[in-house]
Amino acid sequence: MLEFLRRNQTLLTSGLLLVLALILVSSNARTRRFDDPLGAALLEGMRPLQSGVTRATSTLGGIWRQYFALVGLQRENEHLRQRILELERDAVRLGEVEQTNQRFRELLGFRDQLEGPAIAARVVGKDIKLTRSFTLDRGSQDGLRKGMAVLSPYGVVGQILRTSSNTAQVLLITDHNSGIDAVVQRSRARGIIEGALDQGCLLKYIRQGDDVQVGDRVVTSGLDGIFPKGIVVGHITQLHPRSRGQLLSTDVEPAVPFDLVEEVLVVDASVRPRGESAEGTP
Amino acid sequence: MRSASLIALTTVAVLLFQTTVVPLLPFGALMPDLLLVVCVYLGLHFHSPAGALGAFAIGYVEDSFSGAVPGLNAFAMTVVFITVYLASRQLWVSNALSKVVMVFLASLVKAFAVLALLGLFLSLEGVWRTAMKYVLVEAVLAAAVGPLMFALLARTQHVAVEH
Repeated sequence: MLEFLRRNQTLLTSGLLLVLALILVSSNARTRRFDDPLGAALLEGMRPLQSGVTRATSTLGGIWRQYFALVGLQRENEHLRQRILELERDAVRLGEVEQTNQRFRELLGFRDQLEGPAIAARVVGKDIKLTRSFTLDRGSQDGLRKGMAVLSPYGVVGQILRTSSNTAQVLLITDHNSGIDAVVQRSRARGIIEGALDQGCLLKYIRQGDDVQVGDRVVTSGLDGIFPKGIVVGHITQLHPRSRGQLLSTDVEPAVPFDLVEEVLVVDASVRPRGESAEGTP
Repeated sequence: MRSASLIALTTVAVLLFQTTVVPLLPFGALMPDLLLVVCVYLGLHFHSPAGALGAFAIGYVEDSFSGAVPGLNAFAMTVVFITVYLASRQLWVSNALSKVVMVFLASLVKAFAVLALLGLFLSLEGVWRTAMKYVLVEAVLAAAVGPLMFALLARTQHVAVEH
C-alpha cells in the first residue's frame, strides 16, 4: 500500500489538488462571491513589484514612442523641406516665365511699331568684354543674313556679322568696328555712331555749329541702308569739340542695357517704324 | 529544493512580465500564456508532488491576478500538469519540436478544462463560441514562445544545480 502511494504520489497529489480546485470553483460559483483571501494577499505582496515594473516599462514605452514620434517628425521634416525646395524651384521657374513673358510682350509691342518682316531670336551667347558680340539661336535657315539690323525694345543692338545655318553672330554698336548713320533727334544734326573701347559709343563727324547738347537723344537716320530710320541709339553724355576739320564728337550712352538683353528682333533695311514714310520723312 | 525555489522565483518574474510587459506588446487581445509554458516545463521535468503543487499554485496565482473564479485556472493548470506528466512518461519529449507541440496541445487542454468548468459551474452562455475564436491562436502563440521559455527555465535549473 505504501509502495503504491509512493510510486503514484505525484498523480495522487495532483488528484487531490484537482479536487481542491473543484471545491474552490464549486463553492465560489455557488455563492458568486469569489472570496479569495489568499489571492488578495498575493496581489498585495506583488503590488510593489508590479508598480515598479509598470513604471519602468511605461517609461521605456514612453521613450520608445517618443523615439518613433521623433522619427516620424524627422521624416515629415525632410518631406516638408523637400516640398519647400520644390516650391522654391517652382517660384523661381514661374518668376522666370513671368519675366520672359514680360520681355516677349515688350518685344511684340516693339514689333508692332515696325512695318515689314522681322525675325525674333533669342540671345544664346554673349561676349561683351572682348569682341562685343552676341550669338543668336537663329541662322541663315531662318532668313538671317550678314548685315541685317538687330534691335530690341530699348533700341539698336547691332548688326549681323556672320551667320551659320542655325546661329548668327551680332556685332554690337559698342564694338569699335561698328558704324551707324545717326541723327540727333531734336536738331537733326547728323553723324556716325562708332563703338568706343570703354563700352560706350561716340557720335562722330558732327559739323561744327550743329546744335548738339548733352542729353539729346540720338536715333538712326536710315541712310546707311542697314538700320531702319528712327530707332533709338542712345543719348549724348558729353561733348568733345575739335578744331580739326571743324568737326566735333560726343559720347553717347547706348539705350540698350546689353547685359540684360535676352531676345531681339532682326530686321532688314526695308523695315521702318510705323508712321514713317517710304522716303524717310516722319 | 533550491531548484524549485529558483523555478518559483522565475515564475514570479514571468508573472510580472505577463501582467506588466506583455500587455504592452502588439498582440492585441491575444497574449501568449507564459505561465502555461512554465506549467508544461514542470510537467516535463518535475515528476514529483512539488511539481503538481507548483502547477496548482501557478493556476491559483493566475486566478488571483486575472480576477477569474478562484480555482478555475488552478484546476486547468493541474490538468495540464497531469497530462504532460503522463505524456512524458509514455513519450520521448526531448527535442525542441516535440516540446513546441506539447505546449500547443497543453494550451488546448487548458482551454478545454477552463471551458468545461465554466460550462459546468457557471453556465455562461455563448462562452464556447467566443472562446473558440481565440483558443487556437493563443495555443500557437504559447507554442511560439515555448522554446525561449524552456531555454530560460532550463538555464535557471542548471544554475541551481551548479550551485
